[in-house]
Amino acid sequence: MKEFKLNNSPKISSGLKTPEDAYFNKFSANLLSQLPKNEPKTISLLQNKRNIIMMVAAVFVFALAIPVLIKNASHSNELDTTTLENYLSYQSTINQDDLINELDLEEIDKIDTDIVLKDQTIEEILISNNNLEHYIIE
Amino acid sequence: MLDEKEFIQQLLNPKTQNDAFQKLLHLYQKPLYNHIRNIVLNHDDTDDVLQNTFIKVFQNIKNFKGESKLFSWMYRIATNEAISFLNQKAKKSGISSETLQNNTIEKLKADVYFDGNDIQIALHKAIATLPEKQQLVFKMKYFEELKYEEISEILGTSVGALKASYHHAVKKIEALLTTN
Repeated sequence: MKEFKLNNSPKISSGLKTPEDAYFNKFSANLLSQLPKNEPKTISLLQNKRNIIMMVAAVFVFALAIPVLIKNASHSNELDTTTLENYLSYQSTINQDDLINELDLEEIDKIDTDIVLKDQTIEEILISNNNLEHYIIE
Repeated sequence: MLDEKEFIQQLLNPKTQNDAFQKLLHLYQKPLYNHIRNIVLNHDDTDDVLQNTFIKVFQNIKNFKGESKLFSWMYRIATNEAISFLNQKAKKSGISSETLQNNTIEKLKADVYFDGNDIQIALHKAIATLPEKQQLVFKMKYFEELKYEEISEILGTSVGALKASYHHAVKKIEALLTTN
């Protein structure tokens, strides 16, 4: 049997025919019509007008809300305990007697606590702490 | 022909895009038709794949980084589209790719876009027995007469490996044609 050699034989074509130009013209036209268009975006006048109205309305509502917000801001904060203590300690001229005069007996009883101390303990504290003598005299 | 970079810029610019794409179509539709037709064999299928290829080119031109030539990039898209098309068609029909190819070859004689005879049919049948990569290399080298360097850029395979593939393909085809 004679061995077949591709390179020694006349070249075998694929037999697949390329269509005529008419096919490619039609193909191009079809394809170009299918491609997504890159048209510039147009914003309608109506849509633009609507946006302006929305913006004006938003500014109007905000302007109305400003006094309400300011009023709320000024009344909403109550004095906290630390601020009050700091004021009484450093800013006011009120002394301890003034404060006690403002309290009724029931409130004073609540403050008053029973401290049980032995005589020996009191003596030890007095001996070890010289400043206390100064406070007692005062 | 314009400098390739300039041509790509025209394809990206919305103002010049349509004209540039028409030029691209005019330049590449015939070679890409032949390339796809060699893979899928049937004219109507080629028409579908060619259309998908150009749509993909249009959609992805913005991602083309110019690392390869525009020609190679488009051929790569066409090759991938053609192979995907064949695999999907075989899957839908529940048959192997080789059976699908053989069925298509059997119908070639009735195709108006085929003017071959028994030797062409025998050659196509012999090619259909090859692995997918060898088929591609053989068709691109033997029928389309592309250079190894061009095929290398399209398929992303080294020139040495392509030469080996082509050599194996030729040997197998010669053996099959000798016995037939």
